Amino acid sequence: MRAELINPFLGASFKVLKSLGNEHVKKGELGLASSPVKGDEVNATVGVTGDLLGQVIFCMSQQTASQVASTMLLGLPITTFDELAKSAICEFSNIVTGNAVTELGDKGFFCNLTPPTLFVGKDVLLSTKDLGFLVIPLETGFGNVKIYIALREADK
Amino acid sequence: MRTIRTTNLVPGMVLGQDVLFPRTGATLVSAGTKLTFDLIRRIESFGIKEVIVMQSEKTRQEEKEEELLPVFTEYHDRVITTANEIFTSSEQQPIEARVVKDLVSELLEQVELDSDLMLNLTHLKSYDDYLFSHCVNVSILSILIGEALGYSKEELNLIGTAALVHDLGMMKVPNKIWKKNGVLDAEEVKLIKNHPLYGVEMLKDFPEEILSIVKEHHEKYDGSGYPQGLKGEEIAFKARIVGLADVYDACISNRPYRSRLTPQQALQIIFQDKEKYDPHILKAFISVMAIYPIGSLVKLNTGEIAKVIRVNKNQPFRPVIKVLFDRNGNKLDEPLRINLDDDRNNVIHIKDNLSAEESNAIIEQLGEEPGVAEQL
Repeated sequence: MRAELINPFLGASFKVLKSLGNEHVKKGELGLASSPVKGDEVNATVGVTGDLLGQVIFCMSQQTASQVASTMLLGLPITTFDELAKSAICEFSNIVTGNAVTELGDKGFFCNLTPPTLFVGKDVLLSTKDLGFLVIPLETGFGNVKIYIALREADK
Repeated sequence: MRTIRTTNLVPGMVLGQDVLFPRTGATLVSAGTKLTFDLIRRIESFGIKEVIVMQSEKTRQEEKEEELLPVFTEYHDRVITTANEIFTSSEQQPIEARVVKDLVSELLEQVELDSDLMLNLTHLKSYDDYLFSHCVNVSILSILIGEALGYSKEELNLIGTAALVHDLGMMKVPNKIWKKNGVLDAEEVKLIKNHPLYGVEMLKDFPEEILSIVKEHHEKYDGSGYPQGLKGEEIAFKARIVGLADVYDACISNRPYRSRLTPQQALQIIFQDKEKYDPHILKAFISVMAIYPIGSLVKLNTGEIAKVIRVNKNQPFRPVIKVLFDRNGNKLDEPLRINLDDDRNNVIHIKDNLSAEESNAIIEQLGEEPGVAEQL
């Protein structure tokens, strides 16, 4: 995967986390993971269509997800990971990928997104039809978030 | 059909004619296509300057709204007038529980038909008589919160009735005090703080549960309320609901000592002091009002400015909006309705709400205070 396809996702993650009060997000070592990968407790996947095809998956523990959700929901305490909390994680994934896709548009890749799907529960296996994922590990104030990206250019 | 510059296209607009590749003349996007974010960018990338768009068809929801709106508006006005009459005559003639209960039964029917439309009406603040419209609006909001908590019809009627009369005691407080624009003296504060108790005195033949709600609607979860300073579970559960609805409606109303706040500011104020409210009720409240409540003016990540007109259930971030200004700040001739919960619109999201100043500037640009029809 080309760096020019990945950087917008990295930039968007930093920007969105910052808007949620996370000034200092630490990026871990980028890596590759072959499909399928084992997910975390909360996994949100967004499909990319158009000039680029593939998936972007956000994985985090339930505790991290609860903190992200609470912040997005104006500080509402999240005691159970219910519909409201799930909608917040979906929107978080939407906003990050939406920002990234907008930037990809500036580079000439015109893409749309499919609505996020959320998988909650341990031992979820996430697979892609491509060879594998590029992994972006992030250390945030909410906890660790891993972003798995599998993108390829559509045949023209 | 009308011609529009591509730089002013808004996702959701429908093409009236095929858009062709400039060189080959082959079809790039065909007529009738509802434009999405990526299609707009693609059209622009070919250097195409103008396209033809057409009026999109009304959704069934829109048609139903248009039908219900005049009925609801008239009804909402009538309930406020009736509240005014029974409150005003309460000095001579004690209020009968049955009269209020019947009024609320009708309110409940409307809420069942279209709760968002009802919620829209509570955000219209052109009434001179704050007290009566406030009581009606708090009744509607309390019913909606109760609904989110799974209340039966009977319970909804009870909470709606209590909310409708929650501020009756204010009738005992001289007008000049609660309309005062300045610091109240100790005696005046005492009178205001006693209004829940006055209300209970005036509603003697009401059921005990309703009286407890009226009496405790100003108590706060952290014990900072009045008149008794009750705390947490000591406060009747339904009183905690009415108390929250009361604060929200007061925030979004014009008061003698301040202008009304935007719905988003009202939410922020409530959440800044969240220990004052029961977290369970706050959650139900968010599921009803959403993060961008009806009436909010918002900025989209794609640059447009829109107004929230409906809330999608369990989707607090993805309401139905009406785009008012395109990404270059031009006012749309025909506001464009977009459902952010529509799968095609996933790239679009609400980036931020407009600040109070920006909101005011927009309202000014739109002309006079918009009427109901224009709000929707």
